[in-house]
Amino acid sequence: MSVFEVKYRGKNMDFSELKNNAEKELDRIANSKELKEFSDKYLGKKGEIRKLFSFVKDLALEEKKVLGQEINEFSRVLEEKVAEFEKELKKEEREKREEGEKVDISTPGKTIEMGHLHPMTQVKREIENIFELMGFSIVEGPEIEDEWHNFDALNIPKGHPARDALSLGKTFYLKDGNVMRTQTSSAQVRYMKKIKPPIRIIVPGRVYRYETTDASHEINFYQIEGLLIDENISVANLKAVLQRFLEQFFQRKVEIRLRPSYFPFTEPSFEIDMRCTVCEGKGCSSCKRTGWVEILGAGIVHPNVIKNGGLDPKKYKGFAFGLSIDRPTMMKYKINDIRLFHSGNLKFLKQF
Amino acid sequence: MIVSYNWLKSFFNSQLPEPKKLAEILTMHCFEVESIEKKGTDWIINIDVLPDRAGDCLSHLGIAKELSALLNKKIILPAIKIKEKKEKIKDYLSIKVEDTKDCRRYTARVLKNVKVGPSPKWLQEKLSACGMNSINNVVDATNYVMLETGQPLHAFDYEKISKEIIVRRARKREKILTLSEKEYVLDENILLITDTEKPLALAGIKGGMGCEITEKTKTIVLESANFNPKLISQTARKLNLRTDASVRFEQNLDPNLTEVAIERVASLIQELSGAEIVSGIADVYKNKLKPWKIKLDVENVNNIIGIEIPKKEIIKILTNLGFTVTSSGKEALIIKVPTSRQDVVIPENLIEEIGRIYGYDKVPAILPCFSEPAQRNEDIFWQNKAKDIMKELGFTEAYNYSFIGDEERAVFELKAEELVNPVSNYYKYLRPTAIPQMARIIKENSKFFKEIEVFELGKIFDSRKEMMYLSGAILGKNFDSVKGCLNVLFEKLGVDKVSFSGIEKDNIWHKNKTSTIKVGGKIIGKLGSLSSNLVELLMIDDAIFFEINFDELQKHCSRKKEYKQISYHPPVLRDISGTIYDDSEIEEVAEAIKNSSNELLKSVEVFDVYKGKGIPDDRKSVSFHLTYQSDEKTLDSKTIDSLIVELINKLKQTINWEERK
Repeated sequence: MSVFEVKYRGKNMDFSELKNNAEKELDRIANSKELKEFSDKYLGKKGEIRKLFSFVKDLALEEKKVLGQEINEFSRVLEEKVAEFEKELKKEEREKREEGEKVDISTPGKTIEMGHLHPMTQVKREIENIFELMGFSIVEGPEIEDEWHNFDALNIPKGHPARDALSLGKTFYLKDGNVMRTQTSSAQVRYMKKIKPPIRIIVPGRVYRYETTDASHEINFYQIEGLLIDENISVANLKAVLQRFLEQFFQRKVEIRLRPSYFPFTEPSFEIDMRCTVCEGKGCSSCKRTGWVEILGAGIVHPNVIKNGGLDPKKYKGFAFGLSIDRPTMMKYKINDIRLFHSGNLKFLKQF
Repeated sequence: MIVSYNWLKSFFNSQLPEPKKLAEILTMHCFEVESIEKKGTDWIINIDVLPDRAGDCLSHLGIAKELSALLNKKIILPAIKIKEKKEKIKDYLSIKVEDTKDCRRYTARVLKNVKVGPSPKWLQEKLSACGMNSINNVVDATNYVMLETGQPLHAFDYEKISKEIIVRRARKREKILTLSEKEYVLDENILLITDTEKPLALAGIKGGMGCEITEKTKTIVLESANFNPKLISQTARKLNLRTDASVRFEQNLDPNLTEVAIERVASLIQELSGAEIVSGIADVYKNKLKPWKIKLDVENVNNIIGIEIPKKEIIKILTNLGFTVTSSGKEALIIKVPTSRQDVVIPENLIEEIGRIYGYDKVPAILPCFSEPAQRNEDIFWQNKAKDIMKELGFTEAYNYSFIGDEERAVFELKAEELVNPVSNYYKYLRPTAIPQMARIIKENSKFFKEIEVFELGKIFDSRKEMMYLSGAILGKNFDSVKGCLNVLFEKLGVDKVSFSGIEKDNIWHKNKTSTIKVGGKIIGKLGSLSSNLVELLMIDDAIFFEINFDELQKHCSRKKEYKQISYHPPVLRDISGTIYDDSEIEEVAEAIKNSSNELLKSVEVFDVYKGKGIPDDRKSVSFHLTYQSDEKTLDSKTIDSLIVELINKLKQTINWEERK
């Protein structure tokens, strides 16, 4: 008697036939219900495999061992196949279910309300960051100034034509004779008195000018003034620092030119123009067809200002520059009216 | 200054560059050219002459001299031919200058037998090119010579004045009627040209009526003077009367120019009208201005500009500009400055001259050596941090003016420092608070937005002291949500010991809907609604406002933060409800709950406040969520029950808590 022909249910049974049948049935299974039935039939508590074992246990030891192993192997293979089949069927069923699920991806995104920083705060921070990376510390000063710090310290003494132009024409006065600062430079002289060179500072802040307001003139606006004092400072240094700054700010290669200008607190003085970024210098409406945009004022610090800061102008030289924050902000975002900055108009502010 | 290209050309023998090229050269080396425009056969160039050069460059000759230095071309000065009569000027006219500080020089000439009439075409054209109207040959000649030399000139009708010209200060309330037929009331700070009886002109600004040149004029007095720039500048501003003359006198005109200009204009009038020139010039010139010297170190020039300019080149540039240069030793130069260049007094002025003519485009860009790292600014750090937190809380940052107007001051009943010279009634006072401006933002934006959250971090002013304030306005949220926002702000800034309590009666704030904000026991701000009075006057929706003294708040800001151990045992939640006296503050109850519990109580949160039916009139009901949690074990309900009983007993005694079932 072959080991595969065993007595089963009182009959001789061919074990290999059982195996064949199982495989054939497995191939025909189409869904998880049929798989469950199959699994119960063969692997269940009252299934065929259990039956086989109960039959085997009465056999002789040698037979029991051989046949037992065979059945165990068969059971293991069958369990594996059922498990694999089950995984496959579940995946198919999930995919089928997914077919029926749908999100309309053309639905517009829901508006999320969040806060906004004023565009000038953002631009001011950007400018401050660039200068800080170049070693400039940020210093602030008071908005109400005495006349000495606002004018005299900056080499604009009484009787100087620039003093009249600024003090009689552009300055807000308080009853005690103090003024609303017309530039942030006054803080520079204060700082020079406190700190020994080398000095690298920028002074950002709100300044005041008596103006008839229109799309490009305001009574309150913002400036960043810079000052570098050391022993050997030249126009070449000024050129390099400001060019680097502009390149970082505009994130591109920048061409600048220095034009002669006049400020009482610097000598020589310059206007610094930047090659127009809109037309690449060909001439357009943004640069009034000149190909250049005036971007900041600068110069070598006047010896009198160095003296007013308590330093020896023979030993120390320096350069200073001033730029408005309003203008680059307007350039950056193409804002056409400076008055929007103080309008409190949320339709404007929420764009930034 | 409007300049004619053809006029400039007339000073040179050789060709000038094309107008556009010329404009570019001027812009890069002298003054910005604002516009150029073709007009007939001429080009009109609008040059923005820098203020320190107004003394010598508000003239065609001044610009021509600059071009001469830049292009290395010689200038041909206009010819002056004077034929004098035998009669002497002293028989016609005497000059008296009361204060030579006010009038540095007064030069006059007398011309007889003048035939006043229209100017020839060439003269009319030149004036018109420069934007001036032709009046008659005499007045046109004075204007022409002013545009040529920069020296303002004036002509009086000799028959209409007494024989003495006096330069003196005006008397208080003295009056003058100017040529534009406008009357001005004067004071002692104003300089006048007068005769023995009457004012003839506002010195350096405008001529007076009554002695002007007419068709009948036969004899004229020509004035070519030099006044104290400051005096002219202040008078022009005070009277709001800025003229071609005043603009020039406001800067340091060369007193030696008066003579050159008067000869030029006398010669021109003689040529135009056949006038006879009386012999001699009446000239009061006490302190003659002479050239001065500056020592210039060549090495210093190159150190400051940042490029090696050869000494030879430096000498050439300065000489071309009209300076006299002599060497002194190897590196030093002695520069003699002509009196036309009163703006040049220190070596740096000369360095500027050298740099601009040499060309800054030739200067390389060289980064300065690194010195020291930047220092962090604590004020800016905390301002930025606060702004970022407000933004994260959903607030939009606004900027408001530092000024408020009459209306805000009146409506809010504010005490505010007034500007001496406000631009208008809307911007008249330094703002003592930003709340009126915040209210305006709410009002103007509520048409378009149901929910508004705005803030500003800026200066406010209290009796001339300036303070940094954080102010805000919120529409569409209730008091406790805004208070919650501020709590987040304080927590993120590392500020603890914050408390809120009621306010006294106030003009701005609603007495029963406003709280003070205290840090460490000191009041640093307010949070709440505007008084009903203001809400009605302003016609705004009921919004919540706050203002916090940021200078004070910043003192309590801290970067310290410590990680708290996370418990892995489940928290147990319990609610308690009870009544307290109506005037008790809920914060204080929450504080009392914390104080009456042990460390197992992790959080106390108010979830309901109720007044009304079922609650006695003098009491209110409050409900809290309490969270208990242990770091070591899972808490059983028996432990919690006993803690709650103990808590309620304590609250009964301390804050008169009555448990509600």
